[in-house]
Amino acid sequence: MKPTRRDLIIGAGTIAASGALGVPAVLGQAKARIVVIGGGAGGATAAKYIARDGHGAIAVTLVEENETYQSCFHSNLYIGGFKNYDQIVHRYDAPTAAYGITLVRQRAARIDRDRKEVVLGDGSRLPYDRLVLSPGIDLKYDSVPGWSQAAEEVMPHGWKPGRQTRLIREKLDAVPDGGTIVMIAPPNPYRCPPGPYERASMFAHILTSTGRTKARVVILDPKDSFSKQGVFMPDWEKRYGAMIEWLSPRVHDGIKSVDPASGTVVTGFETYENCAFVNVIPAQMAGAIAREAGLAPAGGYCAIDPATMKSTADPAIFVLGDACNAGDMPKSAFSANNQAKIVAMVACSELAGGPAFPARYFNTCWSLVGPDDAIKVGGRYEPKDGRIAATETFISQPGESDEVRRQTQAENLAWYEAICADMFT
Amino acid sequence: MQMWIIPSCEGARRSSAAGSGLRRAWRGLGFAVLGSAAALLICDPALAAEDQALGRYLALECSSCHQLSGASVGGIPSIVGWPEAQFVAVLDAYRRKEREGQVMQAVAARLSRAEMVALAAYFGALSPKP
Repeated sequence: MKPTRRDLIIGAGTIAASGALGVPAVLGQAKARIVVIGGGAGGATAAKYIARDGHGAIAVTLVEENETYQSCFHSNLYIGGFKNYDQIVHRYDAPTAAYGITLVRQRAARIDRDRKEVVLGDGSRLPYDRLVLSPGIDLKYDSVPGWSQAAEEVMPHGWKPGRQTRLIREKLDAVPDGGTIVMIAPPNPYRCPPGPYERASMFAHILTSTGRTKARVVILDPKDSFSKQGVFMPDWEKRYGAMIEWLSPRVHDGIKSVDPASGTVVTGFETYENCAFVNVIPAQMAGAIAREAGLAPAGGYCAIDPATMKSTADPAIFVLGDACNAGDMPKSAFSANNQAKIVAMVACSELAGGPAFPARYFNTCWSLVGPDDAIKVGGRYEPKDGRIAATETFISQPGESDEVRRQTQAENLAWYEAICADMFT
Repeated sequence: MQMWIIPSCEGARRSSAAGSGLRRAWRGLGFAVLGSAAALLICDPALAAEDQALGRYLALECSSCHQLSGASVGGIPSIVGWPEAQFVAVLDAYRRKEREGQVMQAVAARLSRAEMVALAAYFGALSPKP
């Protein structure tokens, strides 16, 4: 049935010019159905652009449990006092109304791939012709010995927005002068590669700007290096002196355990007792719904076809954003938003006779180091040898002028406004 | 020397490049010579549609940073409603790294002239929203 409609539309020969071409009424057939799971940077963007460019031939349903979207990106700016919390909260009303997207405020419980149905939390089912899966990450609560989900109130991660983000700021505000904050950074691959280091910068900014200059921030990293390290570290020294201390595994000799009750962190080299605050950012993996559907290896991320963002395990399912393995592209909101546009192009091509073009990708990650002082890293990407590979990359340089850093922060703030407009208007 | 111009043709605004756009351009109705550049005037609506679709697709990438409404909070300029020649000239300056800007240099690095022209036409046709 759908090939018939597609052939008909292609046969008209003026696909893009025809604009509002919908389902020919004479065929009397239902619209193609796309279900989008997850209303984040990947899912919200995909839902909008599929609905916009499907020209009425595709019924788009967005499944999102939460009433509002609270962005992880720029949550560090909230922690650093550069944004109010309400500035990172967004609603779905405008795009769902403007583009005719059906919003289902439920948890997506599981995917029945055989029947091509999404099973919702209340047991009801949503059939799909294509599924767009953008569930984000799950935390590996067992990746740091002694830490657990039960301990996340005492030793918060702050790696999913909401209560956890606010908790980080509350704990930061309670740190006494002379107190020690220990951050346990995550192993690759994880959401927002520069995020932990931007956050450490925000810790130091709040501590110094409130006169707690004897406090310190110790980052225990399971990695030997980190994103934008060559820019972050000289900037930290220049701006915050010795306040931020980054330790690689060669120095700390492994994170052995934490004790939430006493605020203790034990490494192979040293024990940190009576920490003012321990921020555990654990290892991560694709959201449960993707793993349980057999789209990701145990504890891992979903393999995708780099030309289409489709799961290599199921051609009816696109996986995008943090839940997929996007090769050289980092897990960022920019990446997810960008990948969603490839998904929309491919989906509209297959289901609504839209034009098809070769996939190209882009990403930029901005990080704030201090007031009016931001750095960035990014690149252009294309499918190559079965993965998404970088073709051009760029990164801020150490020692850039204050003016360059000011401009980079202005870009960062303007990007946030733009990507949110792209998702929510 | 690169040959490229930005002609208009009654509603089907279309321009092409001496490179990849030429093949399609020859299917148009004719050409004229303006100064030292060849002007390719295309009035075939199907061709115009093809380029509109290309511009619309490429523009998807831009709207992550440049708002389609034309709104701007500083830091990243509006690119809505620019004259097409100016739009192409700026992109091309980024492509040749004659204009500063790491992000835009990477964006433009692999854009062909035809793609820049398609983008210019797409954004040029948008109006800022109040």
